[in-house]
Amino acid sequence: MVLNPKILKKLFKAVAYTHDDELGCGDCCDEIEEFIELKLAGKSPEDAYPLVREHLDKCGDCREEYEALLTALKATA
Amino acid sequence: MPRWSKNNKEKKASPPYSNEEWVALLSNPPNEQAIDELRAILIRGLKPALSKYVDQELEQFVKDTAQDALLKILDNIHSFRGESKLTTWAMKIAVREGLTVLRRKKWNNISLNDLRGPNPDSDSSEIFSEKFASKDASPELSTAQKMMMEKVEGIIKNVLTEMQRTAITALMIHDLPVTVVAEKMDTNRNNLYKLVHDARKKMKNEFEMQGIDPKKMISELSGG
Repeated sequence: MVLNPKILKKLFKAVAYTHDDELGCGDCCDEIEEFIELKLAGKSPEDAYPLVREHLDKCGDCREEYEALLTALKATA
Repeated sequence: MPRWSKNNKEKKASPPYSNEEWVALLSNPPNEQAIDELRAILIRGLKPALSKYVDQELEQFVKDTAQDALLKILDNIHSFRGESKLTTWAMKIAVREGLTVLRRKKWNNISLNDLRGPNPDSDSSEIFSEKFASKDASPELSTAQKMMMEKVEGIIKNVLTEMQRTAITALMIHDLPVTVVAEKMDTNRNNLYKLVHDARKKMKNEFEMQGIDPKKMISELSGG
């Protein structure tokens, strides 16, 4: 068992920001291209896609993929 | 004679292609020059995107990833909805492909059953080991933390289902990737996210019933 203050804080954070209308990974993945193209255009995708932003904050895999995709697209722009 | 010109489909468009041109070129039978052009774009993007995750043979890994991604892209070209550039959609597939392979490789030998977490059979006294107390915490805070850990462990043990407990333990205590945990639990990322979402809602309700304010606890644990 490795519960410690850091993990406790992570658990509280996950629970505190839980609500009914969260996006799942599939929905996030479906919308991430539009989100990221707005980002690359210098706009604020967080305003247009707040649930995507929130999912990226909560899901490590989707966040990692988003960041890698952003790097890839910047390199090919 | 270039390989692509063996296809019946003649390549008339020239890059940069519109989405419609990409879809036409990549639909059956796909135009091989267009495939090579897309492969080159994917490789150019994947190299910087994956470099921090790959220690050796980045070049080969990126080429393999681009090839595997191309097969998926060609198989799914008609599911492209046209709401972004085709190259953005294709790069998303390639990045996911590469990161999924890397995650599987990294966590291949881990069994979820071996991960230590709160379960009804575990000895709860283990979590109160002094080694888990923050060195910087005051004795009072440390005691408060221990009490809170006991409560949270009790909630995880007694309120969540076995599957929810397994998922929370793997994802939040041991930081395993969602992709890996989903595969090891014979499910997919979406269903796993739903399982964890339900677990978080249960915990939220239980916190409320026990008078625990998560936001206040975050502040206290942050030293605020």
